[in-house]
Amino acid sequence: MKLRDHFHSELQAIVGQTNQRITVTEGPRTLRCEVDQCDPMAVALYELVLETDELAHIEVAVLQQASQSLCDRVNYLLEPISPIETDIDGCIIQMRSSPPQQNDAGRFYYELLLRRGGSIALVRYEKQPGAIRTRVAATLTREVLGRLIEDFDATVAEISKN
Amino acid sequence: MILDIERDQRRFKEIVRGRIRENLRKYITHGEMIGRRGKETVSIPIPQLDIPRFRFGDNGSGGVGQGDGEVGDPVGKPGDGPAGAGGAGSEPGSGHLLEVEVDLDELAQMLGDELELPRIEPKGTASITSKKAKYNSIRQTGPESLRHFKRTYLNALRRQISTGTYQPDDPYIVPIKSDKQYRSWNEVPLPEVNAAAVYLMDVSGSMTDEQKQIVRTEAFWIDAWLTKQYKGLETRYIIHDALAKEVDEHTFYHTRESGGTRISSAYKVCAELIEKSFPVSDWNLYIFQFSDGDNWGDDNNQAFELLSEKLMPASNLFCYGQVESPYGSGDFIDALRKQFGEEEKLVLSEIEDREGIYNSIKMFLGKGK
Repeated sequence: MKLRDHFHSELQAIVGQTNQRITVTEGPRTLRCEVDQCDPMAVALYELVLETDELAHIEVAVLQQASQSLCDRVNYLLEPISPIETDIDGCIIQMRSSPPQQNDAGRFYYELLLRRGGSIALVRYEKQPGAIRTRVAATLTREVLGRLIEDFDATVAEISKN
Repeated sequence: MILDIERDQRRFKEIVRGRIRENLRKYITHGEMIGRRGKETVSIPIPQLDIPRFRFGDNGSGGVGQGDGEVGDPVGKPGDGPAGAGGAGSEPGSGHLLEVEVDLDELAQMLGDELELPRIEPKGTASITSKKAKYNSIRQTGPESLRHFKRTYLNALRRQISTGTYQPDDPYIVPIKSDKQYRSWNEVPLPEVNAAAVYLMDVSGSMTDEQKQIVRTEAFWIDAWLTKQYKGLETRYIIHDALAKEVDEHTFYHTRESGGTRISSAYKVCAELIEKSFPVSDWNLYIFQFSDGDNWGDDNNQAFELLSEKLMPASNLFCYGQVESPYGSGDFIDALRKQFGEEEKLVLSEIEDREGIYNSIKMFLGKGK
């Protein structure tokens, strides 16, 4: 069973519920999701993380390449994603909405972190003037969420090949 | 009557200074002067002064005509003919700018007046000018302990050869009194260096070109002011992303990097620099740090440790300017506020955009420490 299908079946079980955590594992890959709300059409989630030890001992250059290809793939979040910073010591690539969404309610952006070790994580942040940034729920349709999981999966597969 | 040209020149300079003062805020915020700095002066473009000149009217009629007309034909006025496309003009356009050279000290003074900055009082023993003896000359007399053996020997050899007393088979050189040369000293004033400014800039990937430009503009003006306050101000530059390094002025003003943000790396390099080059007892030290405040989460503690143990005790003033990025102002400034609260040496400023440079400089230097 694919990671996405496994996740969807778990998601089905929490429709209508709030503040739930889902963890599904397929082989060496574990998907964790912190769900704020879930209905039959869409999911509001605080965090989506794919963890796997397949990303251990990977060179920064490989991660950088993979982050660029992940950004190219994830073009359906209404905000283009781009690599922003690379922490060479910690072997972490930070990607963000570029540009972030900005309106009267403040600034909002997705942040993706690709870590050696490793994991791929997605979080959405809100930044109000004079306040520290806060994690907010990202609302995604189930279809978009499924596509995102597939792209995380594909990125790990691409890195493992190198 | 002979006109006093110097008086006119003075008046012209006053007008130019007036124009610069009027536009100083614009120059501060738009960084037009960066990269235009010469050794001592700055070139400032100002709108050209209007020189009065005569304009000829049409006197209500045309001039004497010559041509194919008959007697009695009316003579048309200039400009009555059909309109046509004109060619390129040969005169300069009205948008020309006059570049004037202004002394950096004078510019800093203007900045001080404009921002109402108090004069920074130099302190520390190094501010006292002293003279040091330097053995850099030769005299005919002196104590034997300062005798210059090589020069004395050469003089004696030269004399013996010229007088024919030198025998190559028996090369015996005996210096006499007139051959003797002695080392001597001159008094040289010690440089009045007693202050150092260290600029730390975040050049990580999250800092856009616009933010870096804001930082550079602010650093330029702070440097201009501090140079005015302290003769021979030592200036050092550190840039960092996840790693930090000391760089020269040109690199500081032109570099582009894209790494992650670890502020502690810059603090570490700064602490090493202070330890090596600027002993606390002799130096007035000003540290200016600029970042978007988007520090990688786990780095804050390490940064605060270095700040409280090494940088804060060594500096007169620690200024942190946080430039707003497209993702909003980072969290580092809030973390600093929480950690250091009412620390007197710490000055924090949030720079929203170019317009914020003005107030930020005032906040940093207004303390006059």
